[in-house]
Amino acid sequence: MAEEIRFPRLGWSMEEGRFVQWLKSDGDLVREGEILFEMEGEKALQEIESVGNGILKIAADAPQPDEVVQVGRLLGYLLLPNEKVPEDGSPSQPTVLTDVQPKADEQGPQGIEPAEDSISESRVIATPRARRLAQETGVVWSELVGSGRDGRIREADVRNAAKALNVSSQGVHKDGANRFTPRRKMIAERLRMSREQTIPVTLTTQVDVSQLVAYREMQKKMQNVRVPAFTDLFAKHVAIVLARHPAMSIRWNHDHTELHDVPASEFHIGIAVDTSDGLLVPVIRDVSTKSLDEIVSQSKALIEKARSGRLTREEMSGGVLSITNLGSFGIDAFTPIINAPEIAILGLGAIRREPMFDAYGQVKAVERMVLSLTFDHAAVDGAPAAAFLKDLVSEIESVH
Amino acid sequence: MSNMDTHIDRKVVLQLYRTMQLIRQTEEELARCHQRGLVHGACHTYVGQEAIASAVCSNLNDHDAVFSTHRGHGHALAKGMKPLELIAELFGREAGCSRGRGGSMHLFSPEIGMMGTSGIVGPCILQACGGGYSSKILKNGTVGVAFFGDGAANNAAFHEGLNMASIWKLPVLFICENNQFATEVPFAYAAGNSSVASRGAAYGIPGIEVDGNDVIGIYRVAKEAVSRARAGEGPTLIECKTYRTRPHAEGMGDFTYRTKDDVEQWKQRCPILRLRTRFSAEYSSEFDAIDQEILEQVRAARAEAEASPEPTSESAMTHIYSPPQIVVKEKPSPDRESKVITFSQATLEALTEEMAVNPNIFVMGEGIGIRGGNFLTTKGLYAIHGPERLCDTPICERGFVGLACGAAMTGTRPVIDFMFADFVLDGLGEIINQIAKMQYMSSGRLKMPVLLRGCIGIGHSAATHHSGSYYGMLAQVPGLKVVVPSMASDAKGLLKHALRCHDPVLFLEHREILQTKEAVPVDEYEIEFGKARVIQAGSSVTVVAIARMVHLVLAASESLKQQGISVELIDPRTVTPLDSDTILQSLAKTGRLLIVDEAPAHCGFSAEIAARMVDVGFNELDAPIKRLTGAFCPTPYSPSLEKVVVPSVEDIVKSVVQLMQE
Repeated sequence: MAEEIRFPRLGWSMEEGRFVQWLKSDGDLVREGEILFEMEGEKALQEIESVGNGILKIAADAPQPDEVVQVGRLLGYLLLPNEKVPEDGSPSQPTVLTDVQPKADEQGPQGIEPAEDSISESRVIATPRARRLAQETGVVWSELVGSGRDGRIREADVRNAAKALNVSSQGVHKDGANRFTPRRKMIAERLRMSREQTIPVTLTTQVDVSQLVAYREMQKKMQNVRVPAFTDLFAKHVAIVLARHPAMSIRWNHDHTELHDVPASEFHIGIAVDTSDGLLVPVIRDVSTKSLDEIVSQSKALIEKARSGRLTREEMSGGVLSITNLGSFGIDAFTPIINAPEIAILGLGAIRREPMFDAYGQVKAVERMVLSLTFDHAAVDGAPAAAFLKDLVSEIESVH
Repeated sequence: MSNMDTHIDRKVVLQLYRTMQLIRQTEEELARCHQRGLVHGACHTYVGQEAIASAVCSNLNDHDAVFSTHRGHGHALAKGMKPLELIAELFGREAGCSRGRGGSMHLFSPEIGMMGTSGIVGPCILQACGGGYSSKILKNGTVGVAFFGDGAANNAAFHEGLNMASIWKLPVLFICENNQFATEVPFAYAAGNSSVASRGAAYGIPGIEVDGNDVIGIYRVAKEAVSRARAGEGPTLIECKTYRTRPHAEGMGDFTYRTKDDVEQWKQRCPILRLRTRFSAEYSSEFDAIDQEILEQVRAARAEAEASPEPTSESAMTHIYSPPQIVVKEKPSPDRESKVITFSQATLEALTEEMAVNPNIFVMGEGIGIRGGNFLTTKGLYAIHGPERLCDTPICERGFVGLACGAAMTGTRPVIDFMFADFVLDGLGEIINQIAKMQYMSSGRLKMPVLLRGCIGIGHSAATHHSGSYYGMLAQVPGLKVVVPSMASDAKGLLKHALRCHDPVLFLEHREILQTKEAVPVDEYEIEFGKARVIQAGSSVTVVAIARMVHLVLAASESLKQQGISVELIDPRTVTPLDSDTILQSLAKTGRLLIVDEAPAHCGFSAEIAARMVDVGFNELDAPIKRLTGAFCPTPYSPSLEKVVVPSVEDIVKSVVQLMQE
């Protein structure tokens, strides 16, 4: 029986995504577990495995590569040999072809692939130029009616559609490119959701990071290939401190109705990575049980994957708290937005060399930075959050 | 023999002995190296024939030009090439005389007048005529020498070359090394007249037969022939009867076409042994010393060659063309003073101006002398420059194209006027194998400023031997530049550039547009190759056209304008090099491309542009690229047939309208 292939939902908030490309061709025999196509969910590329066996029949109106697609849209079918594509879109019984029938190619269009002709007739074709303009203007060209030969969609068709959408004049820069890409749109939706569902409060305090700076300098002098970034060092210490603050080691459930404890053995820490395609937050796994060296190598690998667009959805979910660092831009304090369903995010500021009175009233030079902790007041109150932050500061300052 | 009668200078004897021994020992070393796998390609040795090169070249200086064959190691060494340069070349090393580009059959050392060996039988005869013609133009007293085998004596180049040398009294020596086999085909079988020397009479030049293994005998004959040549008394044909005692090429079997006994007998007639025996009483110890010295020299050369590096892979594509000439005076803007003249007048102006300032330019062709050219390409120039620089030719296209090759190699700038470009085809081997490849094979040390011009194009029932457009085919040849102007002002600037650049240029003029007129700037200018001209700006569709088709598209665009279709018309002007950028820029604007070409579509100019634009301009395309071309068909004569094989204005209008609907 024909098995439908539909555009899957990869995360709880996902409504649409980008269909990247088929990794199998029409007519290929596909086995369960083989990679069928590539798509982009909320933030990352994902390879989708086949859940069944059969001959791939790509739907007549299947999305084109790079098209933005609603979750649940029909992409194609897995058919049995000799099975027809259901005409009304619903699965049907395979057409029975008995052994006594002559060879398929002598039967013309009634042969093995009866749907071939009707499919090619209804296939939507656009010129390369039209596709480019569609991408720039956000027009979904596969939904247009083409004015070219055999209904081919041309530049003029996309331009007219863009005018109708009024995106040509507003969404387009003077160089013609629409910067509100599907990726950007997904990031915006997540952030907006966070704003709507959480009650963010940001606490700021200063921390003396002289010891961390000295530690890194020493690592550099030893020519360690894996010198930890400040983010890595903070991830390690955040995990240590979180274990002492159960009020802060909690997470929302998928529909934001329940809060659950996160055991220390599952402290996964998110790290915000700026990429050419926008902000991504890959997650370092099991920080509590990992050595610093392991954390560094994992975070380096994740950052590289983020920058090359190869992060999977798994690699970006399940965090207990995220860390974001704007220090390299000279930012001291800011109000980071919580990466829900996490309940807190820690912002790292710029390190500045400043005078400070020590315990004996002597002035000495220290390296200081501002920590900005945004927590979800719906999940936790100010006092436990502040206590966590204070503990984190002492933890950092007591490093030797 | 009479040679015994007169005294031969000691110095000459020892020099001849030394040269022969250098050739022999180098060849034997190369044969050993071939067995060791150090020689990558062919290796045709000169063993047994050493007397000829040694004797002839001892009468030459570095300015005399030697043009040789595939069996040319001996000629190169006798002309003064160091054994290291020869051996390293066969080893494919940077230190080789052709920097590893040529191998055994492409040995170049123009600095000492070694103008190259060749893998093709015959062209050296014509090129030596070119060397002789340069000598006439430059008046520098040099001599051109062609060494060739008996096989070449049955080739058309022999006939055409000897005839041209005769009628123009060229200072040339034709040295036929008759070793009795053309590869493995006996001369006795291949020749109706088995005496090569006797054929000289057929062309009205002296033909002398000499024992090719008697170095003193050849020396005397060659000395006299060189003196005659330098004195302006014309060419000499010398047939040297000899024998090669090694196989045609190293590694080949030898006894399917001759016997071991034959070879053994000829070994007894070894020219080196012969000279040694004859002068053993006088110079025995000198000969021994030379033998030892050469032995050491060749060994050292081989060792150095073996140790020398291979050329770097980055240099594989260098020297296909000369470094580009800087265009000093570009085409003035249209607002400058100009006059409206025809295409023909424009090219005549260019040639007239350049001939006035460059005395090394000469023109060859049929009827280009007093008559001034079938298409008035040289009108009035004969009166100014005379018969040597405006040289009427016999109808022997291969001959005078081959001559032009040798002339360019030896410092002059030939202009070959084909009248109809269809006649190019008879000289195609000389153009493709020789002229186009010469700069590369000589690693850029030879320049090839040859201008080959002729009329192309269908019209007025010219029929199929007077109407071909061959630029697509010629554009496929690395080393050639192919210019196909459509407008008078471009024709002038491009021809000026062709007469100044150092590369071979095919300059093809469509006969049906020779009388079209355009405003041509009065100030001097030239136009660089590889720059397309936007003939007419437009916004709906890009049309690329060349030659007469440019004019047809202009006419079509008038009626298309009535339909609201704005045509941007681009004329690449040169097919090689081809300016993709201008076409791409236009395509980015319009999204639609039609290529209109009179030549057939298959593997042609239009195919090249379409392929390039699909590659670099794929995202610019809003419709398939379309081509409107001539039919894949010889040109018929009857007007009713002729008109259907070439695109018309109506065809262009229809194609553009269809393209707009795509």
